[in-house]
Parts: sequence; C-alpha cells; structure tokens
Amino acid sequence: MSVEFILYCLMNLGLVIVLAPLFISLIKIVKASAQGRKGPSVFQTYRNLMKLFKKEVIYSSNSSWIMRITPYVNIICMLVAALFVPLVFIPGPQSWFGNVILFLYIFALARFFMALAGLDAGSTFGGMGSSREMSLSSLTEPAMILVFAALAFVYQATNLFDIFITLSESPLMAFNPSLMLLAISLFIILIAETARIPLDNPETHLELTMVHEAMILEQSGRNLALMEMSAAVKQLLLMSVLINIFFPWGNTTSFTIPAIAGSLVLFLVKCILLALVIGLFESSLAKMRLFRLPNLLIIASVLAFLTVILEVFLP
Amino acid sequence: MVYVNGLMPWCHRLFSLPEERFSVSQSHDTIISIQSSEFEKVISKIYDESFTMVCIFASESAVPDSKPTLTYVFERTGYAGFLILKLELSTENVISIGLPFPTACLYEREIRDGFGIEFINAKDNRRLFLHENYPKEFHPLRKTFRNRPVETIQPVPPDEEYQFKKVHGEGVYQIPVGPVHAGIIEPGHFRFSVIGESIYNLEVRMFWKHRGIEKLAEGKTPEQAAALAEAVSGDETAANTWAYCTAVERISGMLVPPRAEHLRLIFAEMERIYSLLGDMAGMSIDVAYPVGACPFFNLREEILRWNDNLSGSRFYKGAFVIGGIRKDVSAEKLTELTQYLKSFSERYEDAVRSLLAQPSVIDRFDTTGVVRSELVAPLNLTGPIARASGVPTDVRIDHPYGLYSKLIPRIKILDGGDVLCRFNIKADVIKNSVELIERAIGEMPVGPILAESKVKDGSALSAVESSRGQNVHWVDIRNGKIERYKVRTASFCNWIAIEFAVLNNIVPDFPLINKSMNLSYAGTDL
Repeated sequence: MSVEFILYCLMNLGLVIVLAPLFISLIKIVKASAQGRKGPSVFQTYRNLMKLFKKEVIYSSNSSWIMRITPYVNIICMLVAALFVPLVFIPGPQSWFGNVILFLYIFALARFFMALAGLDAGSTFGGMGSSREMSLSSLTEPAMILVFAALAFVYQATNLFDIFITLSESPLMAFNPSLMLLAISLFIILIAETARIPLDNPETHLELTMVHEAMILEQSGRNLALMEMSAAVKQLLLMSVLINIFFPWGNTTSFTIPAIAGSLVLFLVKCILLALVIGLFESSLAKMRLFRLPNLLIIASVLAFLTVILEVFLP
Repeated sequence: MVYVNGLMPWCHRLFSLPEERFSVSQSHDTIISIQSSEFEKVISKIYDESFTMVCIFASESAVPDSKPTLTYVFERTGYAGFLILKLELSTENVISIGLPFPTACLYEREIRDGFGIEFINAKDNRRLFLHENYPKEFHPLRKTFRNRPVETIQPVPPDEEYQFKKVHGEGVYQIPVGPVHAGIIEPGHFRFSVIGESIYNLEVRMFWKHRGIEKLAEGKTPEQAAALAEAVSGDETAANTWAYCTAVERISGMLVPPRAEHLRLIFAEMERIYSLLGDMAGMSIDVAYPVGACPFFNLREEILRWNDNLSGSRFYKGAFVIGGIRKDVSAEKLTELTQYLKSFSERYEDAVRSLLAQPSVIDRFDTTGVVRSELVAPLNLTGPIARASGVPTDVRIDHPYGLYSKLIPRIKILDGGDVLCRFNIKADVIKNSVELIERAIGEMPVGPILAESKVKDGSALSAVESSRGQNVHWVDIRNGKIERYKVRTASFCNWIAIEFAVLNNIVPDFPLINKSMNLSYAGTDL
C-alpha cells in the first residue's frame, strides 16, 4: 500500500462525509423551486444531522442487538464503499482493492441489515418497508450487476480503479453509444437506490406508502443520524459513479494540489448539474403504483443487457 | 323534478294511520308519530318504497320519568320534504332496523352509548363513540346525567376490548394504523387485513377525541349554541352554521332578508371552493406530485384571504347569525370579488388542465378505490362521492334551502366511482360554485341583513350540502333554551364508503383513496 493510496483514502473519505449532506439539501432546493417554494438552506441537512446526533436513542422493548448495530454496519459499509469511488483523484492501479463485485455486495450487506432492523422493532410499518425493499431490490440488484458486467465487458476490467483510469486517460470513450444505454440504466438505479420518486417518496409522511422511510421509522437520535448519513453517502457515491463513467473529464491521476483543486471544482460543478437533473426528474413525475415499479426496473436491466450483447457480439 | 308539496298525501295513503298522527312542518317535512306496535309494519313499507335512511337519533324530555323518543329520518328522491317518524318508547328497548337499512347500525350504536337504549336483534352491539374505558352505565345524553368526573377503566380487560372483524387464512396479516399518525392530521384508527399488499378487509374506528357538542348545546340559548355549530368541523363552518340557523329560523318562522340570503350563499360557496381546493391539492400530494398541487394551495390561500376580507374570519367563524348574517359586505368589495373570480377561474382551469395532462398522475387516479353505485343508497353515501358513482344527489337541488330554490346549481354525474371521477366531480363543483357566486353578486338586492330575532319554542330539521355532502341538523327548543341538538355530517355517513372502496386495492394506494374522499374526523366525532 503506497502513501499515495493512504492519502487518497483519507481525502476521499473526508470529501464524502463533508459533501454528502450538501446534495440532499441541493435536490430539496431544486424540488422546492420547481414547486414555487423557497426551500431549505443548503446547510439544513447538516443542521438536522447535528441535531439528531445530540438526541438520545430510544429502542423499542421488542428490539434486539440487530437494531443497535445496524446504524454502525450501514455507515461503515458506506464508508468502505466510498473508498472504491474516487471523487477527484484517482490513485494508480490497485491489484488488491477495487473489485466491482465486492463494491456491489457491500451495498447488499448494508441493505440486508437495514431490512432486518426494519423487522426487528416489531412495528407493522417496519416489516412492511422491509418486505417492499427486498422485493424491489430483487430487481434493482440484477440491474446493477448487469450494468457493472457490461462495464467490465466494455473496459475489459473488473477493477473499478482500472475502469476509472482508462476513462480518465481517454474520456472520449464515454461517447461509446452502447454506454449511453448504460447511463440510462445507471440513472434508474440511482433513483431506485436513493428511494426517490417515482419509486419512493423521501418527503412523505404517509406510512403506508413508504419503502425506505418505513424501515428507519423506529430509528432515533444518533442512530437515525447515522442511517440518514448512510443514505446521503450512498447517494453521493452513486452520483460519482455515474459522473466518473459518463463524464470523466477533469479527474486527475496526478497527486498535486493544483490538479486536485481543479478536479474538485469540476467535480462539484458536475454534481450540482446532476442534482439539478435528479430534482427536475423527481418533480416531473408522480409516484408509480407499487406493482408497476418492476416495469421501470426491468428497463434498467434490459438496457444493461443490451449493452452486454452489443459488446460481445459486435466487434 | 322536486315536488314541493312533500310526502304528506302519499304517506297518508301508504301507512293508513289516523289523521291526527300526521303533521307537516314549514319546510314540508312529513312528521308521523307512531307506536311500538306499528313500528315494524311502517318500516317494512318504507323499505318497500325504497326510501333512503338519513339518520336516527334519540331525544329525551327534561320532565322526570319521561321516556326517550326515537326519531327516524328518511328521504325519497324527488320529494323536497323529509319523512320523520317519531317513536315514543314505552320500554328501554326497540327493534333494530339494521337489516333493511344497514347504516342504521351506526346510529343504533350511537344511541346505545348515549342513552343506554338496547336494540333487539342488532347485528352489531359494539361501542361507538364511548370507547371501552368508559364505565358501563355511563350514558351522557340522558337528562338524568350529571356532569362530574368519571372513573375510566384502565386498562380495559382483554375480553371487553373492541372486537375487530377477524380475517383468517394463510398469509393474512393485520396492519393497525393510527390513531396517532405520522403527519399532522386528526386521529382515526384503521385496521387492515391484507394478503401481501392487497387489502382484504378494512375497519375504521373513529371517536378518539369526543367533544360532547350535542350535550354542551343543551341548556344554552340558541344564540350561544351557534358557536357550537361552528365547531363541528373547521372547513364546514359556514355550512354547519347555515344549517343550524336555518333550523332555528324554521322553528321561529323567521324570514331571512334577501340580501342576507345572497351573502349566505356567497359565503357557503366560497367555503366549498377552498375546501375542495384543499382536497385536490391533497390528492396530488398523495401521489407524490407536489408540483401539480402548488397552484391549488396558492388559490386556496387566496380564497381564505378573501373570506377574511368578506367576513372578518378566514373560516367564516361568527359570520352567520340567527336571522341573517353579522356583517354586511360593501358593494365595492363585491365588485372586486367578481373581478378576482375571473382571474381565479383562469388560473384554476390551468391548474386542473396541467394536472390532468400528467400521465403518471392519471395512472394513479384511474380505477383506484372504486365505490360501486349499488352501495350509494343502502349506505346513504352523499356528496361528491355519490355523484362520482353515478347517483345524482345534492341537497341544494333535492331539498332546496336559502337561495338555492332560485339559483339552481348544475351538478355533474360520473359513473366510474374511482379516484379520478371524484377528482373530476370536485373540479366541476368548484367551477359551478364560482358561477353561483357571480350570479348571486349580479342580482344582489339592497336592504337589511338581519331579521328581527324572535326565537320561539319548537323543533325543526334542516339539511345543507357541505363540501362533503349532506349535513343534517335537528334543533329542539323548549323555554328559549336548547333541549336537544343533533348533528349528522356527511363524514359520518361517508366513512363507511372507504371500507368498501379500498377492497382489492393495494395498501400504498390507501392514502390516495382516503384523500380523494377527505372526510372530516371532527365532523364524525362531535
């Protein structure tokens, strides 16, 4: 492990933690202005998290150790996953780190514990949320696996760092037409994984319609803050994956301050634009009926599958 | 076609009872006093002639050792007057009519809690508005009842708990929701039995914050009790006070001056507009499309400010008084209102158009939460819900009051019975309300706004169309004081519709179905 890689890890973790809540607020602001409202300040998510961190944690008397460890499992999973996705600086190839399958299963592990915690408190809504989340994830996970399989075919690599390095060296590869299909798939996955309209509604107070929110309904205080932070980190990571693959211009591989600063500015601009797109996309649709959601998720799988076919059979 | 002469001659032939048992009220209601022995025969005739049951209530005279009287109210399409049966009880029990008239069960349970009257052969003997933690012999509507603290039963023994309908089978599970909800809404308990996500059965349990409005009214002067009528349900304030005032005016034979009648209509229609705008915004919010809801919220706020401008209260609190209205509205204000309504109509139609142009919204509204038209009459569903299920009913047309005998509303009927139909019906009601207000302003007479107050003793029934449907008020005045005040709002009837509308729908669609009806919890739990 090189010093450069350790510095990369520290910088990436720091950036993820600092920036993740920002984009939660930003999407809220975009949605609010689409509705003609003012919306919260960009710092509101930070304030909410600070407030929750100070509050006491209350456990249901029916709950077990699952409820207690889930917030930590979640945040640790997300922070480990954060090491896989360079935000501004891409370190050299790592033979021992960056496997794409591991990246996907870290997400699955976090989801597994979140669903268990939903059941653990013994409230009806938690169980309902877990059951919905697991049925939906049986469709999002294959789509995600197919997307990354397709990427592996395109770049002939199963290591995320290798893929990102190839891309930053020749960003024009992103104009590969078959990758455009993947971009759509990845966007659908991003919406699904961050529990947004039309799959879920992060702003709702209607327990009976909730998916993600229902699972964390019994969480409180510091634990709730950790769960919300995990969700924010997950969103930023998926946004960065999308950006790194389809808009890789500006990602630097040289570890110098001017290069990193330039890369950071560009990254922020790209993220803000993506947040704008997500916010407008959410504002333009009503939530779909629960039983129609598979249609949308299957589109993601089919497009990813098409890319695989294109890459394998068309030279 | 509405026969203003009422049901009297027809009932006379039908029941073959002696002449002196019949009387006709000023509003053409036919009142028949019957005895226990004739009761079953009369009810079966009423059932055969396809009357709809409006409500049942009990009342008691303050004279010691007097027996309670049960009042059964029916209506029949085409007749302006109601049919009112008065049954003086000789014993403490009476035969249940829950079999021919299913909604009677609710009223019978209400009377059983309030008065302790037992109904023989009743299908459902569970408590209604007094939950299980009230002592058994606690019947607050009896005249012998004394107001003092009672010892509640805490906790309720398991075998005395409220029994929800049990659904058994593989994979069936229950979802209890409420009475405390995640949003800032009123309390109500919903017990779902579901298989997967499909709803197999739903039971609604209300009455978590009973205020005792009917009991509070007793012994108050008619003027004081008007404040209680206002408190029945916040966004039906104008409708309920209008109904209450109409009942008192009918008792006293007071004639409301024409200018007051016009202003009353304007107030009531303005209330209908803001109330339904809230429903429409809510439906859009509940399918997670807030962009479509915002124009409705904006318009609603503007109407609320206009309410304040016209009457001094955003919700018309204190605007209606017995004999007229409290405060006159200047001609300039009315002209301004006409101009405002022009811009309102344009923006409103834009908002409806753009919401209905959104396929993802239509997909959620269409075929969701169907109320079948066969259910409307037996369950006595009223208002927009009934009209969305193909039944033309509107108190303003069926039992005209105030100015509605001259300014006849135009109603729209759709027969899909789903959320989309209810949305369209509500959208059309608002358009018609704007027209009615414009016409009322156009022909506004000058003159006094208040009749001379001379409240007499007696009793009368009045019905109005609130934004949710038919609200019925019964006022009985003895010695210048309220003896009995009974209110039955549209919400009380319509809550049962939701239990049928959700069947075979999925759980996440329940909030939308609920919002498409937007019933009042307070209006149910007086």
